[in-house]
Amino acid sequence: MVDTTTTHARSAKTAPTPRYAGWIGKAVGSGLYRHTIGRLADSRRVRLAMLAGVPLLWIAALHIGPIFQMGRISFMADYPPAPDGGSAYTLANYELFFSDQLYFMPFVRSLIFAAVVTVSTLVLVYPVAYYVAKIVQPKNRMRALLLLLIPFWAGELIRTFSVIMLLANRGAVNVALRELGFIDRPIPMLYTSFSLSFGVIYLLALYMLLPLYSAIEKIPTPLIHAAADLGAGPFQRFRRVILPLSKDGIVSGCSLVYLTSVGVFAAPLLLGGPNTVIFPEVIATLFHSSNDKWPEGAAFAMLLLAVSLSTVGLFMRVIGGRSVRLM
Amino acid sequence: MRPYFADLPKTALGAAYWLFAVYLLLPLALMTAMSFKDASFVAFPITDWTLNWYAQVLNDKQFIEASLYSVGIALATTATATVIGVWIALLVSTEGIWGKAIIFALACLPAVVPGLINAISMRIFIRTVDIPTGTAAIILSHAVHAVPFVVIMVLTRLRSMPANLIDAARDLGADPLVAFLRVTIPYLMPALLGGMIFCVLTSIDDFVRTFFLGGYKPTLPMLIFAKVQGGMSPEINAMATIVLIVTAAVGLYAERLTRRSRN
Repeated sequence: MVDTTTTHARSAKTAPTPRYAGWIGKAVGSGLYRHTIGRLADSRRVRLAMLAGVPLLWIAALHIGPIFQMGRISFMADYPPAPDGGSAYTLANYELFFSDQLYFMPFVRSLIFAAVVTVSTLVLVYPVAYYVAKIVQPKNRMRALLLLLIPFWAGELIRTFSVIMLLANRGAVNVALRELGFIDRPIPMLYTSFSLSFGVIYLLALYMLLPLYSAIEKIPTPLIHAAADLGAGPFQRFRRVILPLSKDGIVSGCSLVYLTSVGVFAAPLLLGGPNTVIFPEVIATLFHSSNDKWPEGAAFAMLLLAVSLSTVGLFMRVIGGRSVRLM
Repeated sequence: MRPYFADLPKTALGAAYWLFAVYLLLPLALMTAMSFKDASFVAFPITDWTLNWYAQVLNDKQFIEASLYSVGIALATTATATVIGVWIALLVSTEGIWGKAIIFALACLPAVVPGLINAISMRIFIRTVDIPTGTAAIILSHAVHAVPFVVIMVLTRLRSMPANLIDAARDLGADPLVAFLRVTIPYLMPALLGGMIFCVLTSIDDFVRTFFLGGYKPTLPMLIFAKVQGGMSPEINAMATIVLIVTAAVGLYAERLTRRSRN
């Protein structure tokens, strides 16, 4: 290998000429590397630039850029702008939202739907998370959790589809009820707000389970025992000790479920009916019908984003969790 | 010792757990059962059983093509998201950089924005920078969605890395790049593998982004969606069961990897 002392001051002082094995050694030992990146990296500032350049570029271009551009288009009168260069900005797209019930009602329905789904999921999942985190023996805990994680890997569409098997007119529930003699004719469950909520709770339950589980697991069990020793009944222990200490999990679980269910898209198409049109479907039609509806669609998407994010922000402020953990 | 938990709540909690497990697993079990039904319509009860639907699916050219297309997209997404995600995680974990909290928050942005909004803003964006809808647009949007998860997984692992490991390598004469390739990357490997499998699975599963950014060639979810809308058939059940088994196996493997990386 070539002598590297001239270009690599640091290694020359502290160690003999470094030799690296394999392709890494070949790459690092090559003159091309030493005279370009190797030399540049000797400067702290250049090292920082190499470390920060690509990430900052990616974040700016692909995390912020698209939302910024969507915001810009939401104020445009036409998109693409008229060829004579007159870029007219207007608030008309936002006014349209408030002037027409056709848009307003699905929006309200979406928010109520997401709130109902979030609260139901919390109530449904909390005992389960508590059971796995505190009552199951530690050595069996992972297995108990994994059993619940299996469906999570099946994916959104397949799970939505499997709900149809359950709720269809000739699906499992109706057939079972008929065989047992409870009903003569099937109860129409599919394509209603019931099937939609059922399906979305089914899809999102694990977003609630994981944060709740990790929060409850962190509560020191002696604390619960101490409360019991001091005479707190089961309900009081739950209200005064367990609930406050699992606040972080509640906040991140609810935030995740709320934000996801506000924008849920495939499930309403498959499980919803004509009476359950929620806002994402409305937005989607504006993007699929024809291009000149883009400004309206962008405005509506911005509204949905702003309202859902500020709802979650407000919720976090009121309940007071520290931060949203994502996994 | 006093019975801190009277038996009643404990039993009730256990019942809640098992009911919940049934709730999660029953629909998938029914779907799987239906894929063996020997009739061309989807309805319970199942009287005759068959494997024909599986044979049909495995001979379905559309299904094979869509699967390969989805897997290709997933691999490209994973490569992109892993490189960018690790890069961002390293930046955020570097000491003495101004505005790290802001960078981290912005890096996590796509994970907080609802999927539909994400998809629409990406569609507007690729139109602005003149990328056509199709493979490249799908990969880009999937990668944008996956990056925050890679960042978080890698950061968690980085936090447990002894701070002086890199210093030691450098003192022993390692070039920064060599230290990165021979020390940092091997240390991150379990988290990286877990993150990569997560990327593959979310990408293969993604419907909403592909719906808005895809071209004419259908991915696996697009194909399944089109078939479900076209009417039920046991063939879809067989298709979904195959996908379910493959992805669940990969997912469980990823779960094991990430768990090992935490220990």
